[in-house]
Amino acid sequence: MRLDNAALIFPAIRHRRWVNVFRVSATLTEPVDPAVLQRAVEELAPRFPSMYVRLRTGVFWYYLEELSAPPRVREDYAYPLTLMQEKELRSCCLRVMYFQDRIAVEFFHSLTDGTGGMIYLKTLTARYLSLKHGLEIPAEEGVLDWRETPGAEELEDSFLRHSNGVTLNDREPNALRLRGSYEPDFLHLTTGVIPSDALVEAAHRHRATVTIFLAAVMEETILRWQAEDCPDRRRRRPVKVTVPINLRRLYGSRTLRNFVLTLNPGVDPRMGDYSLEELCKVMAAQLAAHGTPQEMAGRIAANVNPQQTPLIKAVPLLLKNPIMRTIYKLRGESKGCINVSNLGVVRLPEAMRPWVRRMEFIIGTQRSYPNNCSVATLGGETYVNMIRNIRESELERRFFSRLVELGVPVAIESNQQATKNGNRRTKN
Amino acid sequence: MYCVRCGVRLQEGVERCPLCQTPVWNPEGAAAEPSFSDRYPDPPRSRRYPIMAFIAALLAAVSLSCLIYCLTNEHGVSWSGYVMLGCALVYFGFLFPFWFKRREPLLFVPLAFLLTGGYLLYVCLKSGGRWYLSFAFPVTLLAGALTTAGVAFFRFGKRRRLLKTGILLVVIGCSAMLIELFQCITFGGRMFTWSLYPVCGFSLIGLFLILCGLIPPWREYLERRLFL
Repeated sequence: MRLDNAALIFPAIRHRRWVNVFRVSATLTEPVDPAVLQRAVEELAPRFPSMYVRLRTGVFWYYLEELSAPPRVREDYAYPLTLMQEKELRSCCLRVMYFQDRIAVEFFHSLTDGTGGMIYLKTLTARYLSLKHGLEIPAEEGVLDWRETPGAEELEDSFLRHSNGVTLNDREPNALRLRGSYEPDFLHLTTGVIPSDALVEAAHRHRATVTIFLAAVMEETILRWQAEDCPDRRRRRPVKVTVPINLRRLYGSRTLRNFVLTLNPGVDPRMGDYSLEELCKVMAAQLAAHGTPQEMAGRIAANVNPQQTPLIKAVPLLLKNPIMRTIYKLRGESKGCINVSNLGVVRLPEAMRPWVRRMEFIIGTQRSYPNNCSVATLGGETYVNMIRNIRESELERRFFSRLVELGVPVAIESNQQATKNGNRRTKN
Repeated sequence: MYCVRCGVRLQEGVERCPLCQTPVWNPEGAAAEPSFSDRYPDPPRSRRYPIMAFIAALLAAVSLSCLIYCLTNEHGVSWSGYVMLGCALVYFGFLFPFWFKRREPLLFVPLAFLLTGGYLLYVCLKSGGRWYLSFAFPVTLLAGALTTAGVAFFRFGKRRRLLKTGILLVVIGCSAMLIELFQCITFGGRMFTWSLYPVCGFSLIGLFLILCGLIPPWREYLERRLFL
């Protein structure tokens, strides 16, 4: 199976500091039975052929090969999104894990995006509950019928179908780069559990959606931090937040593979100070202006056209990789400070709801983004996951404290208690 | 239970606020429920050591086969000496440091140039040349000194990288003239036949970087454009 257009970049830019893995997890109301979970994983293999794959290296491109046997479920590690080493990718690009009452699935990003990952997790959890408790869970609210054969539209590369052929040349300035003391072999995860009502109310007070509100608060936090660090306004750098746009909603696609592009709304602090209301307004305007189907089709074309150029096709992968890495470094990663990726409200079939306590979405850190933020909502609680590969927790502190200041109550959970070296990892 | 500094609610039983590290007064002393297991993944296995062993075996095989060929056909170590010492130079000068987890470049870079100098001395003596003292030795010394200085520049302090790179480029450019001088002394010929090109090229780029390093708006522009 060919990699979709967005997936091509991920194997090329793999790095110890950027593992290109994301996680979706479901916390149940009872401990997970690994044997039943394994059976559920095995039964879903024919339904999700694009997920049960391994990464292979071709002469000109990477490609995905279907697995002969489904992956084994395993106990979760001490921190999420551990490095998927090359050897592991060559055997399977998907991890199904459990810890106490949590089922977690980690995907190499070449397989799918957050929306596709969440559909898989919901179907897996539904199948697990059916096997365990004999529940009859209907195929609705993103849960797929596991007996069905996958449709062609679920496996298609929607980027190719929705490119308008006209490359959008959108040159934008580089953004501020967040920095910190890099800590290898551990990712700090801080989860802010927020009552959805309070968050929606605060967002509406600022005339914004939840995604725009959270992205604007993040931007305000970074702007204030930069202002403290750099009193000379002329030397400050643009602060931009990378917001993934789910293209399925724009084009009505049903693909389970990657179909997401990012926009980098932001402001230049050299122009003056911005209030949170202004930031929300600017962010909404920028997302509305650039997130149109027409402009996104141009952005898709900018990615698809080079892939289809015969000259580029003929270049061996060995040479393509460093070229792709350099282009991505200069044109992709340098344009934002941090990701704020909101998966939205996760809906579950009525029969599943009493069994699922919480659902989370966690994205990994990137080479130039030491911090990243991902959001998912279930049952009146919003889970804001902030992950970092640096020692300093300053950004999280400022971000969550600002939310509290804005009248949004935040309960904090963290994986720092589970660290190997105890206090060393929790020190600031 | 709330953090007095951040205002966020904390998990029951935590000892410190995960955001600001403020200690939490926990009179009951109950430990927080772990949210993750205590299992760590296997550390990434380095592919370096098998590759290193393979290269070492390959170099040894090449050296040995050349030696055997020379001993059987030419009854002595003739040209196989160049090959054997060349392989030893490649191994000890350039590959040996990769056996170590922490490579100290300030130790291994001069060592590589020292070994290169030794190899050139052997070649000179073996071939009966008279170019070692007047050309090979000073050029190796110069290249070694410049490379070590460059490594030291960037090893100690990552600040003022543009300025340091600029100075280094100017010095490298100027050293081309010195190399041409040694060449003229040893092999004859006129000065300034080729050295002016690297001098001009390196010096122009070097001066531009020095200026960028000294003028903050230029430096910021360049750093922003190149995402340094």
